Amino acid sequence: MVKRNPLMKRITREVKGDWRKYLVISLFLILTIGFVSGMYVANGSMLKAAHESVTKYNLEDGHFVLANKATSDQISQFEENKVKIYENFFRNEDEDIDGGGKSDGTIRVYKKTQDINLACVMDGRLPKAEDEIAIDRMHADNVGLKTGDKIKVGGKNFKIVGLIAYVNYSTLHEKTTDVIFDALKFDVAMVSSGGFDRLGSDVNYGYAWTYNESVKNDSEKKSKANDFLEEIAPEIVMQGNEIKEFVPEYSNPAVNFATDDMGSDKAMGSVIMDVLIVIIAFIFAITISNTISRESITIGTLRASGYTRREITIHYVITPAIVTLIAAIVGNILGYTVFKDVVVSMYYNSYSLPTYKTVWSAEALWKTTIVPLVLMIAVNVFVVVRVMRCTPLQFLRHDLRKNSKRKSLKLPEWRFITRFRIRIILQNIYGYIVLFLGVAFIMVMLAMAVGMPSTLDYYKENTADMMFAQHQYVLKTCQDESGDFVSTSNPDAEKFSMRSLERKGNTLDEEVSVYGVEDDSKYVEISDLESLSEKEVYISQPFAKKYNISTGDTIVLDEKYDKQKYKFKVSGIYGKCPSIAVFMPIENFRKAFDLTAKSFSGFMSDSKITDIDKGLIATEITKHDITKMCDQLDHSMGNYMKYFQILCIMLAAALIYLLTKLIIERNEKTISMIKVLGFDNGEIARLYIVATSIVLIVADAVSVFIGAAVMKSVWKVMMASYSGYFEFVMNPMDYVKMFLFVLAGYLFVTVLDFRRIKKIPMNEALKNME
Amino acid sequence: MNEKDKEKKSDFLEVVDLRKGFGSGETRQEVLKGLNFSVGKGEFCVLLGPSGSGKSTLLNIIGGIDSADSGYISIKGDKLKEMNEKKLTLYRRKHLGYVFQMYNLIDNLNVKENIEVGEYLSDNSLEVDELLQTLGLYEHRYKLPNQLSGGQQQRVSIGRAIVKNPDILLCDEPTGALDYKTSKEILKLIEDINHKYGSTVIMVTHNEAIKNMSDHVIKLRDGSVRLNERNELKISAEALEW
Repeated sequence: MVKRNPLMKRITREVKGDWRKYLVISLFLILTIGFVSGMYVANGSMLKAAHESVTKYNLEDGHFVLANKATSDQISQFEENKVKIYENFFRNEDEDIDGGGKSDGTIRVYKKTQDINLACVMDGRLPKAEDEIAIDRMHADNVGLKTGDKIKVGGKNFKIVGLIAYVNYSTLHEKTTDVIFDALKFDVAMVSSGGFDRLGSDVNYGYAWTYNESVKNDSEKKSKANDFLEEIAPEIVMQGNEIKEFVPEYSNPAVNFATDDMGSDKAMGSVIMDVLIVIIAFIFAITISNTISRESITIGTLRASGYTRREITIHYVITPAIVTLIAAIVGNILGYTVFKDVVVSMYYNSYSLPTYKTVWSAEALWKTTIVPLVLMIAVNVFVVVRVMRCTPLQFLRHDLRKNSKRKSLKLPEWRFITRFRIRIILQNIYGYIVLFLGVAFIMVMLAMAVGMPSTLDYYKENTADMMFAQHQYVLKTCQDESGDFVSTSNPDAEKFSMRSLERKGNTLDEEVSVYGVEDDSKYVEISDLESLSEKEVYISQPFAKKYNISTGDTIVLDEKYDKQKYKFKVSGIYGKCPSIAVFMPIENFRKAFDLTAKSFSGFMSDSKITDIDKGLIATEITKHDITKMCDQLDHSMGNYMKYFQILCIMLAAALIYLLTKLIIERNEKTISMIKVLGFDNGEIARLYIVATSIVLIVADAVSVFIGAAVMKSVWKVMMASYSGYFEFVMNPMDYVKMFLFVLAGYLFVTVLDFRRIKKIPMNEALKNME
Repeated sequence: MNEKDKEKKSDFLEVVDLRKGFGSGETRQEVLKGLNFSVGKGEFCVLLGPSGSGKSTLLNIIGGIDSADSGYISIKGDKLKEMNEKKLTLYRRKHLGYVFQMYNLIDNLNVKENIEVGEYLSDNSLEVDELLQTLGLYEHRYKLPNQLSGGQQQRVSIGRAIVKNPDILLCDEPTGALDYKTSKEILKLIEDINHKYGSTVIMVTHNEAIKNMSDHVIKLRDGSVRLNERNELKISAEALEW
């Protein structure tokens, strides 16, 4: 019969005796594990629903938009490339939410289809009558619309009969080049065939395709899409038509952004949890080291009586293991219930995803139960095994240091109290190192929580200054029907040329706007621009920063839909531009792209141009086009950042509480003894709390900069996978805020520490050690 | 009667009907059962008694780290039971030096710094380096406690207690963990301090032989004073044998 180790009976007593510490640790673990578990369960369930919707709602393998409608013969010709082509026409109309007669944004209206890019009905039903419309559920939530409301689309009245989630719009990306979706000012909708005909703006001739044979992975998808484009592009040109857009499914952010982002959230949550578990594991390890030191004689006696190192090691490691296991079980229960709903609501607030069913996640079990348990045991076994190498006699003599005759570090002849504090810091150096690492890690999260709103505010406030001009009109053609060049009498107007090229990359093909600028431009102020040779250009600062390009470097840009390449030498960096752009004199532009003399793309102007036929204007770039990314990020994440700040303060306070508690516990006997000698509580607090305060303030101050630097680097890496670039901006007040947030957590803990010091009894010093 | 004797006979420390018990109900144990005695200034007083006789409890009450259930202790006429926590701290700070059996040194402070812990508390402290010389610890002043022998550690403990020039030196079995030779050295040191600084010494011990070097012997048994006498045949610590 296997006998139970009687030492195990101590565990419940130990936990009861120090319940505050175990409560804080358990809450720390439960909340961390619970949230990450919720994230895994929500992600797993929603991703499963999203993947199932690919077949359930017939997601395209890609789509292209033509300038003119393709004939049935042309479609048959396209389909010879082992694809099936579907009409998926749409119109971009003005959406007037409140019927006030003013556009509140753009609504992309699709004709109801039966066979491709279908929608999940989240509320109500699909439209039947001409005046009925179903709009995107998330946009409706964001702007306060619901089923039964009325809106104006392109000036026509529609009744909202349903809220939907289109399978090809899990995020509301208006353009494939948008850095982020825009669920506030952009909407997608479905109307009946009759409803589609009621609308007046130009039809966008969108054609979706699906491959006849299934495609396995992204590289195959890429090669198939490239082959398909190579086949159809010349045909389309020969037919006198033009490809306005060609978007394979794998590169369509409206389809992939949400699932990719959910995947990266999961990975980030998992890393944060692992780091926090390791920090907690080290806190446990320091606690156990203190306990072993305190119980050294007992351990020596047990070892002398025949208990093995293994038995005693297991005894000390079992408490953190049990606490972690219980926290993992409770955390997972909360993960499947409370936290899953929190995460789901966060996703529904940002993404237009279909309905889901909660599914069991083996990955959640592995990541939130097995991994934390293994980390906790590994760290503690590592520490305990090292201490257990001491002989029974060393334990009996309370001589656990490797070098028991270690020498005292000689300190300068400073004030006695200063030296005492330095000794306290040196004695608890491992605890303080863990404290520093913990604070530094929390500071990275705090940098995100504090810096994100500042970054968005900065870009919102400075966008107007960074725009070339208040209005930027891109023309469909620079010549009207009679062949005359389009002109305006507006004195502010200045011609410019623009072309979209791509910078090919491993993770992303970045769209680059190439501008041809008039000499002495008042909107793009580059003094020596006109002196540039044909192969020399200026690039925008975001372009330079994102790809670490300096003056003198050479950049290579590709045409989007053919193999033409362009090489330019960078002659300078232009700071007043928020996007990824290249600038050259307009003459050089015409030569580089083989354009006729006097050709141009549009006008920049600080005042509105009213004397150009609206039919000639392809698009007008406004301030909103630049700020929409910030608006959306602010809407999606702005509020959460405030909660995140509070969470970081609580995490910091919990961490500091646990570590300062350990330091005071370790010095209980000394504190008791100096009380006996006549030190009062205030003096003792000034010794111990000031020592910790010095470390904390230094750690806090240094960590502020570490946190900000790490966050800036992480941001740059994150930006590498998105189109466009904006820097992570933190103003001086943010650094102060971060410092003060952690300090606030510490000040709260200081009150508890002072109470703890006050409670240490004097008779503790009178207990003989041997 | 000379001035010194007069001072000795004055009641510098008075213990009046002191009672103390632990526990409650059936498990209640009366540890001190109405003690009465007094100690004169500058006296070397030895408290003798077997384990459980109440001598350590008495020392703790004199030290202001425990309180009596009834009765009182007064120092220069000030009753400890009338002092609040702040005054008691001040009392320990200004009047008391404590020497423990297991030295209770702060293990991360070196010898000099351990003595400075006591010096910090006094406005009338002794010169630390001079005291280190007196204690024979000057060359060890930068060592940590774990680099010292038991006797050396006890010297540091004594140094820490007397550096603040206390009126009363409370010693709880100061030789309990030391060998014969070292014990005699420590007793000699305490005797010297008693003579040199005029501190009142109250020493708790099991060792009957130590009574011979004291001015005043108090024997406790089962919480009561069994013997309270002046030692007229006092011998020096060096002459002690056991």
